[in-house]
Amino acid sequence: MAETILEVRNLMKKYGDLVAVGGVCFSVERQEIFGILGPNGAGKTTTLEVIETLRSIDAGDVFLNGIDMRKKPQEVKRLIGVQLQSSSFFDKLNLVELLTLFGELYGRRVDPDVLLEEVELLEKRKAKVGELSGGQRQRFSIAAALVNDPVVMFLDEPTTGLDPQARRHLWGVIKRMRSEGKTIVLTTHYMEEAEELCDRVAIMDEGKIVALAPPQELINKLLSGGFKKQRVERLANLEDVFLSLTGHSLRED
Amino acid sequence: MRIKWKLTVASFKMYFRQREAVLWTLLLPLFMILLFSFVKFDRLGRIDLGVVNEAGDRSIGLIDALRKVETLKVVEGLRERELDQLHKGERDIVLVIQPSLQLGAHDSLTAYVNSAKPQVAQLGELVLQRVIDELTFDQLPVANRLYLKVEAVKGRNLTYIDFLLPGVLSMSIMQMGIFGVAFSFVSLKKRGILRRLWVTPINPTDFILAQVVTRLVVVMMQVSVMIGAGVLFFDLHFVGSFVELFIVGMLGAVVFLAIGFALAGISKSEDQVAPLANIISLPMMLLSGVFFSRSNLPDFVHVVTDYFPLTYLADGMRSIAIDGASLVQVWQQLLGLCVWSVVSCAVAIKLFRWE
Repeated sequence: MAETILEVRNLMKKYGDLVAVGGVCFSVERQEIFGILGPNGAGKTTTLEVIETLRSIDAGDVFLNGIDMRKKPQEVKRLIGVQLQSSSFFDKLNLVELLTLFGELYGRRVDPDVLLEEVELLEKRKAKVGELSGGQRQRFSIAAALVNDPVVMFLDEPTTGLDPQARRHLWGVIKRMRSEGKTIVLTTHYMEEAEELCDRVAIMDEGKIVALAPPQELINKLLSGGFKKQRVERLANLEDVFLSLTGHSLRED
Repeated sequence: MRIKWKLTVASFKMYFRQREAVLWTLLLPLFMILLFSFVKFDRLGRIDLGVVNEAGDRSIGLIDALRKVETLKVVEGLRERELDQLHKGERDIVLVIQPSLQLGAHDSLTAYVNSAKPQVAQLGELVLQRVIDELTFDQLPVANRLYLKVEAVKGRNLTYIDFLLPGVLSMSIMQMGIFGVAFSFVSLKKRGILRRLWVTPINPTDFILAQVVTRLVVVMMQVSVMIGAGVLFFDLHFVGSFVELFIVGMLGAVVFLAIGFALAGISKSEDQVAPLANIISLPMMLLSGVFFSRSNLPDFVHVVTDYFPLTYLADGMRSIAIDGASLVQVWQQLLGLCVWSVVSCAVAIKLFRWE
């Protein structure tokens, strides 16, 4: 029996009259990669931000590793690693200095090189975040999320804006973190990414979860209902063409 | 404690790695002084004359006559005070009308002149002697002429720079506080850097403290560089204490840093900060006695400008740097700055928003 590490019950978040998250329930198990999918404005980011302690809970409960987030947000902060959508870092410190500083914020003395190695950025250790490519930046923010050796990692659209090579590379990093014992909750707009990475996905729309299951189960369910794609399934798509022409290796350095 | 220290170190690194901004902060005020040093506001031909009247009614004719001379700016006072002013460079000449003055007795008057300003002294002597001669021409035979006995006193030759430099120094502390803090925090906010910090267990107060400490050190550097360059290159008559200047400067910085945080709190972008920061700083820049003395302002303006934080800061810095005043002597300015820092910190705490 898998151990539940994150439990979200009837989570509500309102902005004035607008209900951003309207009673969301789900739980995430240890070492799972859990995806939250949905169109823009579905409430994915808000849900994450509440669980990340950035926003207050209007109603409902969140338990992380058994800790009640409403009562002890500071304790929760120590257990989670967060990559925010479109957030940046101080631009005058280099990667090593940033990781050291973030480690200090948790009262930890980290070895920045080990973390950079983890996300394959060791050769950029003296660079500033502004000098990194998009994919490198995302990998760095994962390294920064790892400074406190978190139990659960939250990645908000980690691959948005990356080219296919960089995206695949990041998938590799995420899978490796899971194999090293981390639990990962991520949001994405890319369905093939969810299919490739996630053990289970929750599909959100208008602040509610409309489906929650492993990707293959959702697909099977749709097919068993008699669904057929308009076009005949091809054995390759344009992305495969792109990758076979440009290779799988990273092009960012 | 360790986190506070680490955050402060990081804040220092970040601040001083903005090379252009640091140079700008330190050199712009100096450049301003350099420009103004070409302007000779104090050579407009006015002579500050202090008159010590110890002869009572018998001298009124002379003082009235002196007041009619346009080149003279006559101030009456006691001997001790006027001589002190002469030393400080506030007077060019001090004329003493002794109690024993007797017209027609081949008497003389003593004029103390500031030898640091030889041209002014010389001109002043000529003017004084002529006024005396004109006044006594029909009363006294030429032989019994009332003489002017001149004594040179080594006073200070205070120039416009002596007035300007402490003012510009205060102004640059204000700019660093208001603009420096407001812009950098709005940018941290806008780029999501603060949000990233708040998902860590950081204590926001520690973070702000680190920022404030960094800027207080910058204030000390500003004071040192400005006064140092003033003495070396601009003939600044610095007689004050650095420690006391630091104290007043930092107290002023606290006021303006808090204003900066308040502005950062209510603004979402740099575009919103700029006009607000200007609305607050421009009137102070022009009316707080930075570039010219507030005594030239009409009374109704005084009612307001007397209470500007920059007025307190500039007056305090100037008294300490140029007149050698002690902290006790500038208690009014210190009190004013203390009140302002309490008010502005309260407003900043109320208005500051992390998001």
